[in-house]
Amino acid sequence: MSGKQQNAGKAALTFLRNNTVPLMFIIICAVCIPVSGFSPSYLLNEIITRLGRNAFLILSLLIPIMAGMGLNFGMTLGAMAGELALIFVSDWQIWGIPGVVLAMIVSVPFSVLLGWVCGKILNMAKGREMITSYIISFFINGIYQLIVLYLMGSVIPIAHGSIKLPRGYGIRNTVSLLNMRQCIDNLLAIRVAGVKIPVLTLLIIALMCILIVWFRRTKLGQDMRAVGQDIQVARDAGINVERTRIISIIISTVLAGFGMILYLQNIGNLSTYSAHSQVGMFCIAALLVGGASVDRASIGNVFLGVILFHTMFIVAPQAGAKITGDSMIGEYFRVFVSYGVITLALIMYEMKKRRQKASIGEQLALAQKEEERHE
Amino acid sequence: MNNKRKWIFRGCTLLVILLIAALMFIVGRGHTVYIDNKTLEYNGESYGALQKSEVWVNGERLSKLGKRDRTMTTTIGNSFQMKLINTVNKGDEPTEVTVNLSLPYGWDGILVNIPGYLANLPQEAWMTEFIIEPTPPEEGEEEPGEDEIPTAEF
Repeated sequence: MSGKQQNAGKAALTFLRNNTVPLMFIIICAVCIPVSGFSPSYLLNEIITRLGRNAFLILSLLIPIMAGMGLNFGMTLGAMAGELALIFVSDWQIWGIPGVVLAMIVSVPFSVLLGWVCGKILNMAKGREMITSYIISFFINGIYQLIVLYLMGSVIPIAHGSIKLPRGYGIRNTVSLLNMRQCIDNLLAIRVAGVKIPVLTLLIIALMCILIVWFRRTKLGQDMRAVGQDIQVARDAGINVERTRIISIIISTVLAGFGMILYLQNIGNLSTYSAHSQVGMFCIAALLVGGASVDRASIGNVFLGVILFHTMFIVAPQAGAKITGDSMIGEYFRVFVSYGVITLALIMYEMKKRRQKASIGEQLALAQKEEERHE
Repeated sequence: MNNKRKWIFRGCTLLVILLIAALMFIVGRGHTVYIDNKTLEYNGESYGALQKSEVWVNGERLSKLGKRDRTMTTTIGNSFQMKLINTVNKGDEPTEVTVNLSLPYGWDGILVNIPGYLANLPQEAWMTEFIIEPTPPEEGEEEPGEDEIPTAEF
């Protein structure tokens, strides 16, 4: 075999190794789409709707990855902040786009506070950020439930009977957001061949992407990248590592809050006690499906991930029903895949790290042997 | 100096955000406007319902009200405009009236009585707050606790 062929083989193997998850999903989608029997226009409509609904949330994960803090399961905190803001705005009866804007503004102090707490804790658990942020999200969920279930209406004033539980305090299971439902999606929306394109939502997402690209080039962005590459080197270079890490988590939490508000305005109602519970998991799964890893993620990964992951979400129940005669199989399948893809990505990341360590060791051993031979 | 400028910039940014929030608070206030064509009793006088009244909001016909009929619409902000095409008695020529209302900020539901408005009565006679008693929740809704996994929403 010639050297060129060997190189090509190696490159193909590396490509396969680096893109196992997206390739796997492309195959799943390629099999499931024809089986599901959905029309292309229906599929496209659904994918674009879900792109507008989820992309902003997933974009919020990029900055902590840049700062070397891994996949931020703590984005659930931002989602909770967004939900709290939406509950207040619903109670104040602020509707439409002003309601969405006000909710975003109101969510910021909650997000900053929660992000700061999360960042402080994560600084105490360097190297174990993902599991720590996952557990923090459960802890803060308990506080959220306490506030929403017992303090709202009794200590925190809530005027409207329509969102309050009949006992006089606590928020109902579902808060209607009908008066702001799809207000951003429908403004400037256009229809192309039966496919609704939410132009304003996509513009907001595009603006967010530009902001992320710009942010990477700022001093703070460069600091975050330096911290992400090597904490010790960054510290020696005079970067305040702890502060930089906290800021990255705060930014991520604030963006997750905005993303949750955009997401819920599309859905049109808020499941008070459960809407945020799976957000982190599904967003992280989507990002990983797009080819991101624990230490590397790009805007391209976000879009590829949303498209592939949600195509699978749309077609899996129908395909499951056609293949097995039971649509629940498809439902289980997509939940199983979400967890599975996170597990797979984590295993692959660990394997890659070990492979890198082993290769460094081999290189060192070779260098030592060379030295000994010369002596 | 540099530090001072930084704090001024931060303060200005915060002020702008608070101003935007205040603006949203005012312009985004939602109201439900109920429009009815019912006989109004005011100060011992009776103002009879119209034979027919067509209600137009934002260029669309909302409803055609007969005697004792009521319709509703939602609006954002404190100003509300509607067009009424009224037939006072059977066989009369319809007349067009444009109604501009300033809605009270604190009221969620606002009831507007057309005969009272057309009779040029004071505002408190034809505009009143409409309060809906919250409906009791269905069985099992009182205490949240179901472990819902919102997969379908994604």
